[in-house]
Amino acid sequence: MAAVTGEWRRAAMMASEPMARAVAEEVARWGSMKQTGVSLRYMMEFGLRPTPRNLLLSAQFLHRELPIRFARRALELQSLPFGLSSNPAILKVRDWYLESFRDIRYFPEVRNRDDELAFTQMINSVKVRHNNVVPTMASGVQQLKKQMCRKRKVPSGFDEIHEFLDRFYLSRIGIRMLIGQHVALHDPEPEPGVIGLINTRLSPIQVAQAASEDARAICLREYGSAPDINIYGDPNFTFPYVTQHLHLMLFELVKNSLRAVQERYMNSDKDIPPVRIIVADGEEDVTIKVSDEGGGIPRSGLPKIFTYLYSTAEYPPELDVPNEGAPMAGYGFGLPISRLYARYFGGDLQVISMEGYGTDAYLHLSRLGDSEEPLP
Amino acid sequence: MASEPVARAVAEEVARWGAMRQTGVSLRYMMEFGARPTERTLLLAAQFLHKELPIRIARRALDLESLPFGLSTKPAILKVRDWYVESFRDIRSFPEVRNQEDELAFTQMIKMIRVRHTNVVPAIALGVQQLKKDLGGPKAFPPGIDEIHQFLDRFYMSRIGIRMLIGQHVALHDPDPEPGVIGLINTKMSPMTVARIASEDARAICMREYGSAPDVDIYGDPDFTFPYVPPHLHLMIFELLKNSLRAVQERYMNSDKHAPPVRIIVADGAEDVTIKISDEGGGIPRSGLSRIFTYLYSTAENPPDLDGHNEGVTMAGYGYGIPISRLYARYFGGDLQIISMEGYGTDAYLHLSRLGDSEEPLS
Repeated sequence: MAAVTGEWRRAAMMASEPMARAVAEEVARWGSMKQTGVSLRYMMEFGLRPTPRNLLLSAQFLHRELPIRFARRALELQSLPFGLSSNPAILKVRDWYLESFRDIRYFPEVRNRDDELAFTQMINSVKVRHNNVVPTMASGVQQLKKQMCRKRKVPSGFDEIHEFLDRFYLSRIGIRMLIGQHVALHDPEPEPGVIGLINTRLSPIQVAQAASEDARAICLREYGSAPDINIYGDPNFTFPYVTQHLHLMLFELVKNSLRAVQERYMNSDKDIPPVRIIVADGEEDVTIKVSDEGGGIPRSGLPKIFTYLYSTAEYPPELDVPNEGAPMAGYGFGLPISRLYARYFGGDLQVISMEGYGTDAYLHLSRLGDSEEPLP
Repeated sequence: MASEPVARAVAEEVARWGAMRQTGVSLRYMMEFGARPTERTLLLAAQFLHKELPIRIARRALDLESLPFGLSTKPAILKVRDWYVESFRDIRSFPEVRNQEDELAFTQMIKMIRVRHTNVVPAIALGVQQLKKDLGGPKAFPPGIDEIHQFLDRFYMSRIGIRMLIGQHVALHDPDPEPGVIGLINTKMSPMTVARIASEDARAICMREYGSAPDVDIYGDPDFTFPYVPPHLHLMIFELLKNSLRAVQERYMNSDKHAPPVRIIVADGAEDVTIKISDEGGGIPRSGLSRIFTYLYSTAENPPDLDGHNEGVTMAGYGYGIPISRLYARYFGGDLQIISMEGYGTDAYLHLSRLGDSEEPLS
């Protein structure tokens, strides 16, 4: 019901020119305001005591901050090169950003607990509205890529698009972190050590084990078998991090490694070398290396793996069909987005390959927690 | 040198030649050219060098005179600059090379130039030390000091090129070369063999310093060979291993745990031969990693003897091993990458281009 009303409202607003212009002005104004970054450490310290007062302060901060971030992205979506802004998929995403901007901007002042709870409901549904941004953007960009290949246009302008996508997805990670964290702080019964989305006692070995099982399951489903994964490191070591983020990154890396090894040894009688995960805890960083002997990538081909839409998949999955489970290889968004997650909290992802042998991926996760969100 | 007009004339020549365009040579070209070192080809090579070397030497002399932060005035740098100007004059004033006699004399002359420049690296290192002291140490480094790193990278890379050209030409005169060897290039070099020798040499140094040395395990195809310059590869692996052995040794010296071996993996691909040197020596924090490629932050172990014969000191002494190894790797189109896992260990990746088409990087 709400969706239908929303559609009507949107259609009515879109139809009204002065309204549309007023909103466009608001978007332009808010889109040029300065964004305020938050560090992991700050989120932990702040969320340690999620009293109604603190939640109120947090809501008021988000009430000011989120419209800036949404407006900024809406503006960018409207000024993309190569006519990408008029692509239907991109227009769809832009509309989501405009709607969300309006929902938050025109939400009344948050003055008490009731307001705060209603605000939290609202931003949660905003988050849900944006759930499919990545595949939708992917669809638009892929259409553009096909067009350019057909017209034999030089893909050198794609650098601009890659840079845009990096900024765009990094910003999305930040918005979803802020919203997710605020919503999660309302959990009346959090697990011990958990502050919102942050597990202050995250065991990277455990996450590696869980991600490995998930990745092996997918490999089994696709190939009928899966290489072993050996995990090394201190099983008692923990540090504060966002479980979802680490799981997502490790899942991607392990998936890639399993696929490479499987493809290489599928029709061979040789012993299949295991994929190896090493977890190292230093003072500045926790570093996780995912190593495979899947044959490696030539040095000339390595920069490509971090571009959007580079994929080794033969048949990219259908985007309009609901995805039952994640494919082994698809749109080639796994690595670039994993790197964004790593960088979001001050870390990094590096991939080095030995052509003819295998590939090593290094996930550096900053332990200091002082890095402010990168705000493109 | 005492005569002003002469000095000015030389300076003008240097300025003129230093502005001329350099001509790069690829590994493949060197191999094809040197495959049949007849009198005629040696003559052509000598004539090429007669034109090319003065350009490269003059360029560096000019560079040395215009370094930032007063580096150019440091005594050690002035000495190096004088070597470059002398060598420029020696080649420039050498008469036209028209026959085999001329060619042999020319080859002798450039051989002596190479000897004259043997201690360039420690001399520059000393100059940089002198600058550091004058500035008051790293904490007082002015902004923009990184310009010096870029200069040193260009300078040393150019030196690698000059010495390669001279060395290759001289070596082509060997009347009895080993099978498969063309000048300094071994067309059938086995990286496993070079790795083994380099690891013995590096372990020997570790033994001498600590009384023991971690094991080094080498994996790869023992029959695989490809064309490369063995001394270059030896230097790079030796430097990387030295670091790995030291890191592991320091970490496990006073521990009852068994020191984990350093592992070398040699992979042969279509584009590259990649050699990974892996240690569990505790690693380097991410914030400190870029330092290992710099010149300004390393400390010379022993004050170099600039006029003496530095026995056994390779180009990569004085804490310059890693940045200079990377230059050697890049010289023939390869690269050196180092990734570390703080608290665990470090992996160094040596990529050597198999294609041989890369021209020397010239700046």
